[in-house]
Amino acid sequence: MAERVIILTDPGQDQAAAILMMLGAPEVFEVLGLVATAGNIDLAHTLRNCLKLLELTGCTDIPVFAGCPRPIRRPLVMAEHVHGPTGLDGPDLPEPWMSADPRHGVRFIIETILANPPDTITIVSLSPLTNLAMALIEAPEITGRIRRVVAMAGAYFEVGNITPTAEFNVYVDPEAADIVLRAGLDLTLLPLDVTHKMLSTPQRLGAFAALGNRCGPALAEMLRFSEAFDLRKYGWEGAPLHGPCVPAYMMAPDIFSGRRINVSVETGSELTLGMTAADWWGITERPKNVFYVRDGDPVAYYHLLTHCVGRLP
Amino acid sequence: MLPQKIIIDTDPGQDDAVALLLALASPELSVEGVVTVAGNVPLDRTTYNARQVLELAGRTDVPLHAGAARPMRRDLVTAEHVHGPTGLDGPSLPVPTMPVRDKHGVDFLIESFRAATPGELSLVTLGPLTNIAMALVKAPDIAARIGRIVMIAGTRLEGGNITPAAAFNEYVDPEAADLVLRSGLPITMVPMDVTHRCLSTKARLDALRALGNRAAVAAAEMLSFSEAFDMQKYGWEAAPLHDPCAIAFLLRPDIFTGRKVHVGIELKGELTYGMSVVDWWRVTDRVPNVDFLHDIDAHAFYALLTQRLARLP
Repeated sequence: MAERVIILTDPGQDQAAAILMMLGAPEVFEVLGLVATAGNIDLAHTLRNCLKLLELTGCTDIPVFAGCPRPIRRPLVMAEHVHGPTGLDGPDLPEPWMSADPRHGVRFIIETILANPPDTITIVSLSPLTNLAMALIEAPEITGRIRRVVAMAGAYFEVGNITPTAEFNVYVDPEAADIVLRAGLDLTLLPLDVTHKMLSTPQRLGAFAALGNRCGPALAEMLRFSEAFDLRKYGWEGAPLHGPCVPAYMMAPDIFSGRRINVSVETGSELTLGMTAADWWGITERPKNVFYVRDGDPVAYYHLLTHCVGRLP
Repeated sequence: MLPQKIIIDTDPGQDDAVALLLALASPELSVEGVVTVAGNVPLDRTTYNARQVLELAGRTDVPLHAGAARPMRRDLVTAEHVHGPTGLDGPSLPVPTMPVRDKHGVDFLIESFRAATPGELSLVTLGPLTNIAMALVKAPDIAARIGRIVMIAGTRLEGGNITPAAAFNEYVDPEAADLVLRSGLPITMVPMDVTHRCLSTKARLDALRALGNRAAVAAAEMLSFSEAFDMQKYGWEAAPLHDPCAIAFLLRPDIFTGRKVHVGIELKGELTYGMSVVDWWRVTDRVPNVDFLHDIDAHAFYALLTQRLARLP
């Protein structure tokens, strides 16, 4: 039976790739709804981008909800310098005709978890963790009912991207990440340590473009746009492709490796704000709260992603 | 060419001892003095150990001064769990007889730099930066006279060793490290990113032992002792060798690579204090203040170490 998931997302081209991957694997993922988050770009844009992606894939029966327009305690930091002014620059996608569900995204998370049997709903987080943290505060009774949370968040050996020591999703809302990490959830993190191994080389992007459907070439155009920033910054042969690591891990955990460890978030200092201090070597007494994925097979990863996107219109 | 004049500030520690031996065995360097500091073990032990090492090298002519017994603002943290109760466990060295000079190590630093022609005398620090930080506070005029500080400090892609975020030397006295990094002095930082490449494999230690002279045999015995902790922790075939890398940089800068970047020290975060925040990818506007080394030719390093230790008694 497919895993029933709620996707928390702020697309973002790499998250578009993750969403396409999940929609192209309906036997693995039953997507109950998308909750748009403020992050890579403001909420109005991420909401519109969610709608555009569902229309692109033809999955227009999946509801989209607007979540919180801001992080819990901090002003919103965005990343238009990477993703472009719309957050989804690259292909020329039509303005959406769908509209969002009027319910608040936090309410949708709570109601969906309470309305279903315990341990049947999974949270897939591609964005800052604001909406999940808010749901845990508003309705603590959902905590023990969530099947698992799989999130793209954090960095240890790769250190940081938005600052020298912080990964973007955690940096944008470090208090939300802290709340989620301390909640006692079944939590898996896909950090920069693994996403930086998944480089979108020209050959891999060419494979999307050559799929011959509508979604493959659109995805190639998106990623060609967003990778420009990273290619310039790092000087690598391809840019890291973050978001799809989450569904790829859920579909094929055997192509990844990690360890159960403690991860804590720095919230008390400006210089290292949002850093995920990961106790990879087990040198503290802090309780293990995360399955932390450190490595993955990029060939198998791109093969799986290309296969899923190829099944879409 | 005249030898490069240096003072070595150290907290031996087995790897400190090997660094001292490498410096004393190298005709390109003139060791003008040794100053001890509390770090790996308390000050009375590091001073005792420095006497043993100078006698082992047959260099009781080098003036030895005891420096700071405690960090500037924090309680002393030591590392007997790595280095053993004496800090120099491994070989059986005789009880030392050479004297410690009366003058405090901080004052020795100040007077030495004032007496030297500006730029001709450099400092190598192998331990916490307490002494030079104290000297810069007491006598700011010396800043303009110090040739360069080559320090064993920092970590970026290796994470921390004493905590998940911090390397030992800055963790012990982060305020001192911060003060030195803000001083505007020419600084070369030799971080864990470099020292973790220099694994003291069995073949490399056997090569030292096979030299047969007492200093080389003692060095091999020291490292065989101290590596046990790291081998168990990391699960590697051998342990990193830290401190001799700083001396090797003075002898063979061509076997290192690095970049001029900004490095800041975290002082406030409970999870992260003592961390070196390295802006390797230039994602901030902070002005570069450190030549941060990134890689080393480990074969060339061990060849140099072995060749030089053969010159000692």
